[in-house]
Amino acid sequence: MSELGTKKSSRLSRRDFLKLMGAAGTGLAFAPFVPFGNFMPNPNQASLEKVPVILPDGTQANINTYPINHAEVITYPATGDAALDAEAFRKWQFIRLPEELGGDKKDTSAIRGYSMICLHLWCLWKYWPDEGRKRGECPCHGSMYDPVTGTAFVGPASVQAAPSDTLPELYFEIASDGFVFILPPKFNANENGVIGYGRFA
Amino acid sequence: MAVSLERRTGAVAFFYWLWDGVDRTIFTAIKFSFPARFVSPFGFLGMLTFVIFIILGVTGALLMFYYQPILDRAWDSVQFINDEVPFGFHIRNIHYHGSNAMVLMAVLHMYYQYFSGRYKIRNEVLWMTGVILGVVTILEAFTGYDVIFSERAELAISIAASLTTSIPVAGPLLRDAMLGSGFSDFVLRFYAQHVFLLPIVMLGLMAVHFPRFLVFDVPMVMAIGGAILITGGVFPIDMGFKFEPTVPPGVTVPEWYLTGIYAFMRTQYDKFVTGLLWPLLFIISILLIPFIDRYKKFSWRDRPLVTAFGITSLAQIMVTTYWGFYISPDISIPLVERLVIDPIFFYSTMILLVPLGFGFTYMMIKLANEAERKSKLAKSTGPKKVATISLSEKWINWLLVALLAFQVFLNIAAYNAALTGMKNISLFFIGIILLVFAAFFHVYRYSISQEKNAPPPAPAPVQEEKPRLAEPEVSPESNKLPEEDASKVKPELKELSPEIPAKTQADLGVGADNNPNIGSGDLNKP
Repeated sequence: MSELGTKKSSRLSRRDFLKLMGAAGTGLAFAPFVPFGNFMPNPNQASLEKVPVILPDGTQANINTYPINHAEVITYPATGDAALDAEAFRKWQFIRLPEELGGDKKDTSAIRGYSMICLHLWCLWKYWPDEGRKRGECPCHGSMYDPVTGTAFVGPASVQAAPSDTLPELYFEIASDGFVFILPPKFNANENGVIGYGRFA
Repeated sequence: MAVSLERRTGAVAFFYWLWDGVDRTIFTAIKFSFPARFVSPFGFLGMLTFVIFIILGVTGALLMFYYQPILDRAWDSVQFINDEVPFGFHIRNIHYHGSNAMVLMAVLHMYYQYFSGRYKIRNEVLWMTGVILGVVTILEAFTGYDVIFSERAELAISIAASLTTSIPVAGPLLRDAMLGSGFSDFVLRFYAQHVFLLPIVMLGLMAVHFPRFLVFDVPMVMAIGGAILITGGVFPIDMGFKFEPTVPPGVTVPEWYLTGIYAFMRTQYDKFVTGLLWPLLFIISILLIPFIDRYKKFSWRDRPLVTAFGITSLAQIMVTTYWGFYISPDISIPLVERLVIDPIFFYSTMILLVPLGFGFTYMMIKLANEAERKSKLAKSTGPKKVATISLSEKWINWLLVALLAFQVFLNIAAYNAALTGMKNISLFFIGIILLVFAAFFHVYRYSISQEKNAPPPAPAPVQEEKPRLAEPEVSPESNKLPEEDASKVKPELKELSPEIPAKTQADLGVGADNNPNIGSGDLNKP
């Protein structure tokens, strides 16, 4: 090893220094555009917060008055724009379970909220409270969903690999006066699920 | 008033001036040739794909005037185009069948290049951009049939969105970023991608993908255009049913270029593996074939393993494409059983196709070699003439007149059909007009070349006797030739010599088309 060599390795050459500065400058000049990526996801779906469960008649759902073995369509997240709120991706079945499945309790174990989009081909399924049915049924290809777990047990949706056999779910909170609120969801497959795709049960 | 087509005046002079000016642009590197004879279209399938791309650009831009990418209006606006807008039916059908033709041409183009080994000799970048271009073409066609938002489109969108979500780690984020979070987003964003993002990507890739030699064969371009219109006339594309989330949709399958993947997905195994990983593996192996193929030769006969791989892939594409389409018509079976494909049966068939493909290739190579041996034998034993159709000048003229008259008749018929509301008949007639024009142009260029190839003056009669010592008698014509006619004859001869070396672009691997007239473009005539 010559002296020159060691000298070179210990000190940055002027040329390399300039290149490094050039790279840093270029990086910094374009760095502010990275967060612009947030332009891409629709913010309508992103600003999620705890909101009351508003039934189709405009009132807030209350565990003390909401009938057992009954389901209503709720809109979440609601925007106030009629065209956007008509979107199937915002429609959820708000179900109070039948008595034999624990629907008579006054806590969150008695209620369920599932995305209405069938996991098979995105038709809108709904809950049928009739004796002998008491399950979610899709009109299109006959997929049926267990109201307790949200997992399909009959039909095309039931043969899809996980997570595409279990409906996305909203979780609720009941205030001391019985009014029901939707907890802010996280729409990924491991938590609340992805609408139209599924959830790991 | 005498009008001469020989002299370049007015507009003609202007166009020649413009054409010469192109020399100063980037296009100077690209050499267009307008074949003066029929050449096999296999060599310029890529050019035909590009022509269809232009047709799609024009018709697509027209459709944008009326289409509304809004959830509850998309289908209705297409219906308006189809039923109310004058010639909207025509434009929509040309756009739809053009998209199918473009995908088909791109696939044929790829396989022709594959079997003739033209990704070799430093064409690797050309090949790889071509494969990516093909994939983007299919995405473009896919986003196109989604924006109608019929039942089938909704099915396609739901599969696309689920597949994107199923990508490990980045999937859900990617779906939200690229496709949005609901139906209204999907329609709008598929539209944005269909009309702008993907075409821009395609144009960028094309800039890299264009080879230096391009063949623009007018009759073949017209024939392809005619074929698209005729298909539109015979099989006009329907509207499908508007998607209503509460109405049970009919059983539908995707477009033909996706049923192959659909067949894999119908085995109901993991979405990511069946819908993305398998196609991706296929695309990557096709992409890397120039680096896998180490054969020194070009012909498919000399590259048995690569050919066998290609044949196997073709067989698998055909089988899966059909299988994806096939849904048992027996409605007494539960829908799930009709839709789900038994994975063991399915994958065993796929594996079985591999030895079959290799065996078929072996057989084809044997047969081809045998045929070549026989043809060589036949060549040595006797003369073999190629059948030709020779028409006299008079009959060519009459043929041109007759074709023109037929075009006039078809024009009237097509317009009349459009007026009376027989839209698909009118589309069909316009397709025929394009085909007739293709024939017309071919006869025209044939007659022009016949004129060029006019036989030289009859040679002087050969003396029967033994040559005498004295100077032989020579006719004045042949005496004149080398001196006075030299200036006239020489450029003619030069023109007949190929502009494109016979083995570079148009007819490599075609064998029968070693035609010296290829590339003697009209525009290069001094």
